[in-house]
Amino acid sequence: MQRNINGVRPLSLFVLFFLFALSASLQAQQPSPQNDDYISPERKKAIDSLALEKVRDLSKYIAIVGDKSTPFSEADRVIQRTLELFAPGSEMGVSSVNSTEILYYGVRTYLERLMQLNYDRVEIEWYNIQYISDLERQPDGKYVGVITIYQRFSGYKEGYEGNVLLYKDTTKKDITVYVERKETQIGGRTIGFWDVLLGDVRVTETRR
Amino acid sequence: MTIQGWLYLACAVLTAQGLHAQTGGDFGDETALYAETKQVNQFFRRFNCEEGRNGERFYPGNPLYRDPEFRLGYLDILFDGQSSSISPEDKQEFIRYVCKPDLPTYLNFHGGEWLAEVNTRFLYEGSERDLTLFMRLEADRLGYKWVIDRVQFAPYLKRFSQRPAGETEFLHPLSHELDFMNLSKVFRSSKDLQGYVPAGYEPDQLTLFLLDVAAGKLTFRTVTNMRFHFFQVQGWYFELRDLQRAGYNTGWLITRLERVSPEEHTLLLRDIYHATR
Repeated sequence: MQRNINGVRPLSLFVLFFLFALSASLQAQQPSPQNDDYISPERKKAIDSLALEKVRDLSKYIAIVGDKSTPFSEADRVIQRTLELFAPGSEMGVSSVNSTEILYYGVRTYLERLMQLNYDRVEIEWYNIQYISDLERQPDGKYVGVITIYQRFSGYKEGYEGNVLLYKDTTKKDITVYVERKETQIGGRTIGFWDVLLGDVRVTETRR
Repeated sequence: MTIQGWLYLACAVLTAQGLHAQTGGDFGDETALYAETKQVNQFFRRFNCEEGRNGERFYPGNPLYRDPEFRLGYLDILFDGQSSSISPEDKQEFIRYVCKPDLPTYLNFHGGEWLAEVNTRFLYEGSERDLTLFMRLEADRLGYKWVIDRVQFAPYLKRFSQRPAGETEFLHPLSHELDFMNLSKVFRSSKDLQGYVPAGYEPDQLTLFLLDVAAGKLTFRTVTNMRFHFFQVQGWYFELRDLQRAGYNTGWLITRLERVSPEEHTLLLRDIYHATR
């Protein structure tokens, strides 16, 4: 009997260890401070700044594309630059104050629609507030976050007595941000860096 | 709202006005945007007292990180101040419970026990129909993802609505002795097999949904609304919704609060999954 118990014990321990290892592997693996892909509070701040810079670029490009005085070739070039800010397949989900329905557009379609709007001048003003979420890791190891900004859009038409305001709205924009650790070769050395791309954007009109 | 809550809000507004003056913007109600709980992520941070008045993140080691006094001010403003369904007594009891000095309760994004109810619209059999998705976070490989856990769709419920079995709708108890040859008659004569399945049978709506989407019978149109259901605080349930309106009490706020025993927990979940809103 004793011999039997002694024979079983190492097996039980092995099974227990196996189950523990399995359960640990089923949980999402959290990066530790020792890992290259760990995001410390300081690194998070740097990534936030980089992401906000891209969001500001997006805003600048939208104003150029929406402005009628921008030549077509220039607008087309800016649309290309805008698309480079985004991860492939990104969409804009737009809703208005009058409807809860969200309309979905590809980024290029959204910009082309903007280009077709008949404004001589477009102004995009920022509220002095933005909110940046924590970064969460998704199954493929990339991090994802959301930046919320508020903007006022004004579209003007040239009149006899200067520009006339044709349309204005205030929108809340929740912008997805993807953050990925990448490596590049510089002078034979491997340098790691954090790449930031924008993703889907939810545009909610809050008032006109 | 308690005095602490009002003081907190006043500080937030004054700080916002200070910043407003510094940067010289010209948007009248910017202060309301500071007060608004702008993301669900911010709701978690405010609930746990993990961020400052201007949204700056508090990390462990910061003296204000999860500070009990500071937290009280936050918790008070996270409730829908216009809701008549949340009793002031329950609210204060809830706040006292989560702020217990010896055993405070914090919300955990990865802690389970919370789910999203997403109201959507699909094109189904030629018309737009409302369909509700219940979603939860699931760990997968290196991170997490939202998964569709359940579906609630009125046409499915109608199709499988319980009705008493007819007088002859049964397979007699010795059918097995004849190799269930009477199944032939069942499938020949009836398309409705409700009398031949267990009493209380409930269809798996998620499976029906997956089959219909794959077959092209359901086409996604849009998301119309969403809310979250939280069971993370022991003995309590609360609902979180995004309230867009004028004023400072806006954004993601607690719109429903109930004390729940373990039995009521099960009943409430059943109610959430089956209720047609």
